[in-house]
Amino acid sequence: MKKNSNNNDSELVEKVKKGNKMAFNFLMNKYYSRVYASLFSFTKSHEDSEDLTQMTFLKVWQQITTFRGDSAFFTWVYRIAINLAKNYVSSANFKKQKINTSIEEADIEIKSFDDSELSLIHEQSLHKIRNFIGSLPESLRTAFTLREQDGLSYEEIGKITNTPIGTVRSRIYRARESILDHINQEIIKND
Amino acid sequence: MTDINEKLSALYDGELEKNEIDNVLRELENSNELKKTLSIYSLIGLSIRDKQNITHIASANLRKDNKIFSKLWLSNALTAAASILLTLFVVNYADFSRMNISTESANKIASAVNSKEAKEVVANSNEFLVDHIMNVINDPAFMDTKNTIDLRNVGYNISDKQNLGYSNGRESFKLRIENSDFGLNRIRYWRHGNKMIYLVPISGGRVVTIYGNISASKAIQIANSIKQ
Repeated sequence: MKKNSNNNDSELVEKVKKGNKMAFNFLMNKYYSRVYASLFSFTKSHEDSEDLTQMTFLKVWQQITTFRGDSAFFTWVYRIAINLAKNYVSSANFKKQKINTSIEEADIEIKSFDDSELSLIHEQSLHKIRNFIGSLPESLRTAFTLREQDGLSYEEIGKITNTPIGTVRSRIYRARESILDHINQEIIKND
Repeated sequence: MTDINEKLSALYDGELEKNEIDNVLRELENSNELKKTLSIYSLIGLSIRDKQNITHIASANLRKDNKIFSKLWLSNALTAAASILLTLFVVNYADFSRMNISTESANKIASAVNSKEAKEVVANSNEFLVDHIMNVINDPAFMDTKNTIDLRNVGYNISDKQNLGYSNGRESFKLRIENSDFGLNRIRYWRHGNKMIYLVPISGGRVVTIYGNISASKAIQIANSIKQ
């Protein structure tokens, strides 16, 4: 089955190429944790993974005009991240260089995880989130998991569940909002 | 708000109509709540899409018993060096270069000083913080504390007994410790000409101010060495 191709990414990338920082900000927030997770599997270190993730997005911002769209945007970002990870291994002075470079050259605000986000990346929190997703009304849970877990497009989900695309969009949104409320009330609040 | 949140969700999924993207980006620019929502959407997705990887991360975090994630006190220099990078881009950055204050910072300070409402919004911690930084920059005696601290274990000696500056021959700085933490839970820094001002929260609800031509990692190392 055809996977969702994140069609909006290409439009956002074009905006970033024209200097639209908010479009960059959106893409960074969207992919930050994915890049981080990929790098963590490489470094096994939170600090290094987050540093490398930040460096990755700094490079994305600086080199976005070289992205030709031959691959998906995330694939390109991922490649940058992996190259940085290789340098991380080979450079003993990585941290020092990185800090100096970042202070002097950054002209864009690069995201970092805040406390509430970090509180989610814990086994207990993840367990609570997954349990809550399991308790969502069936219609919301199905739409949400088909999208997030299986990567299907709204159109494909609509065909499977026999619902209009607008309803799919609304169900996925409502599922996310429910999860977000649960996180705010049960996880972040109690952190 | 519901409408924009639903559009944000659709844009996150790459399913928003092209002509609606700019509208969402504009809303996003003005709303920290939306930015946070977007980040958490991403983490939620990761939690069910990449279970194996995220569980490894979570396990590692659990083993560290939240040391890294707790509101800073930084346990070692490397962690500190990494952590300061995390904050470099997100702290309120005020460029006090050439003894002038950037327009944005000047406006913030002017607002805090001149507007009662703004003062209330800024709240005590930020107000004191601005005052503190202004003192560091404008009052040469402000950093001349009388209590010397032995920093030889991190390679610095007192270079000027009258002014109580510290140096290792290449880097020099002045240091003072506040018994208030200004509400800080992160390292913050400012550039002033060719010098840096670092405010590093340390144990006991205190903050170390380090002012001089010194790197971030060294400043953190110094702050970490101060125990008493």
